[in-house]
Amino acid sequence: MRAVVFDGVVLGLQFGLLGVGLTLVYGLGGVLNLAQGQLAVLGAIVAALRLDAGSAVVPAVLAGLVVAGTVGLVLDLTLMRPVYRRRGEDRVLLGLLLMLGVSFIIDGVLTWRYPIEALTLRIGGEPVDILGVRMRTGSLLASAIALGVGAILVLFLRYATTGKAVRSVIQDEEGAQLCGVSPATVRAFVFALSGVLAALVAVTRSMTSPVTVNAGIDFTILALIVAVVGGLGSVSGAFLAGILLGVVNTVSAHYIGTYITTIVLLGAAAATIVLRPSGLLGAGRE
Amino acid sequence: VIRRAATVGRVGAPAVRAYAPVVLAAALVALLPLRYADSRPMMGVVIGGVLFACYAVGFNVIFGSTGQLFLCTGALAGLAGYASAILSDRHGLPMALAMLLASLMAAGAGGLLSWIAVSRSLGVIFTGIVTLTFALAFQNLLLGQRDLTGGETGLVVEAGSDTLLGEQVAPFYVFVVLLTAYLALFRALQRSHIGWAFRALRDDEIAAELAGVDVKRYRVLAGTLGSGMIGLAGALYAHSEGFISPSTFSFGEVDVLVIVMLAFGGIGSLLGPVVGAAAFTVLEEWMDSFNEYRLIIYGSVILVLFLVLPRGVVPTVQRLVEVARRRRVDGASAPTARPPADTLTRK
Repeated sequence: MRAVVFDGVVLGLQFGLLGVGLTLVYGLGGVLNLAQGQLAVLGAIVAALRLDAGSAVVPAVLAGLVVAGTVGLVLDLTLMRPVYRRRGEDRVLLGLLLMLGVSFIIDGVLTWRYPIEALTLRIGGEPVDILGVRMRTGSLLASAIALGVGAILVLFLRYATTGKAVRSVIQDEEGAQLCGVSPATVRAFVFALSGVLAALVAVTRSMTSPVTVNAGIDFTILALIVAVVGGLGSVSGAFLAGILLGVVNTVSAHYIGTYITTIVLLGAAAATIVLRPSGLLGAGRE
Repeated sequence: VIRRAATVGRVGAPAVRAYAPVVLAAALVALLPLRYADSRPMMGVVIGGVLFACYAVGFNVIFGSTGQLFLCTGALAGLAGYASAILSDRHGLPMALAMLLASLMAAGAGGLLSWIAVSRSLGVIFTGIVTLTFALAFQNLLLGQRDLTGGETGLVVEAGSDTLLGEQVAPFYVFVVLLTAYLALFRALQRSHIGWAFRALRDDEIAAELAGVDVKRYRVLAGTLGSGMIGLAGALYAHSEGFISPSTFSFGEVDVLVIVMLAFGGIGSLLGPVVGAAAFTVLEEWMDSFNEYRLIIYGSVILVLFLVLPRGVVPTVQRLVEVARRRRVDGASAPTARPPADTLTRK
């Protein structure tokens, strides 16, 4: 039982990291980034290509993160401009549709050029005993990275000046502007950050199972569910939701069976939203 | 967006003028077999287009009229499609009865989802995610319940193959009749007190509530009715196609396309679904020759379309016509009083 829960936490931390990027972008600009999963896969494929070319692991991974982040930044600076000029529901809908288009393009380019590429990172080393459970090094490293990045994010948002600027724009765009914070700069920064985070999830995921070219849509849907269950705009909520869903996932896979598990997982997500319509740690209604 | 479109269907406009677009659209669509009747694949494509127009009208009742983002169009159609096939083939029910029962099931499921969303006052995105989880769970159920659904390999639907639906061109006309009925129903809704309520709650929910509109009831009504419409179209397709599989009704194959079609045609407008379905059916067919970069072209077209026409074709054209007409009227006499739909909310 303990081992199963641990596995769930490992999975959940990555779910959480996946949700964080989506939740921040939505909280800031009302754009539901439906290309989140595709950015993740883009990063993974870039890393895989660098590895194929003989690069060492760390530079390859960094290249993947940088490319995903840059694409995020460019998207924000070009395509998202007309979106930010709108308000309310119009903005949400247009942002969603444009990012859907982007996700098709990224998917299309990747499956066209690199149909069989996949990223697999093999982390060597003996399994380590943690509280009497033997854990694979790959899972441990993946969780450590997810935890570390999550902690840095929370601290950054709480204490760093830029982090405070991000939170102020999430709370009140006009108010932040009056205090000298430029929402446009903050949004561009966070969009790039979410690209990097997405690619990072693909990288940590590849430490336990391969990330293939067509994994984008699954990543996106998972990110959406995690972000909404956690409460859109809340970083710690996304992690909480990720861990909750991760544990539900592995426990149910272990005791009930894999086929029902997805349904249990989706049911748990739906139930959370219905019971707490603003998410686990959501600030309030949109 | 809705407000502009709504003025066209206002109560009191002469019935002939109100239903003219329905008749015109139906007549135009009905001409298609003149060109494609001798090609079975092309008839399949055209039937698919009309099917998606039907889905989009149903989705328009739910999302366009009352702002509930249902991301389970495919699942609702699939629920009815599989139910109708199983009821008629395995349990020997007459096809018509099976289709009716199946549509009622879809209506019930949609109504339930809508009721949950409304009674927990879920926002647009949250309603979207809850219905999305339903769609994904349904997809998994289809794959898992092999004995009932045939799993991934799909299900051959026998019932209907010995009727009109088994022919090459006839099913097309059945679908055109269905689409015409849906459009007429949509227009009738717009012109009735229900349409008033829909517009009021879409414009300003709180104001509508204060004006005595039972927002909850009308949302659930729209969810139930629209889901029933989607279900009936899905069931009909199951019998006319003779084969269904999970991918026939998957989120990626149905919902994404329906949303894009409706958003392109114009959310909340009468003919938006038809315009959108026509445009994207042509686009899909045209792209078939670019197999490899299909997705890239598709994505780029979506980007360009929505950057240029963020409100959708039908409302944009309507606005242009409106502006031209007003200019003419202004030239001739004093500006006429506009009959805006939003007077209801301001009363």
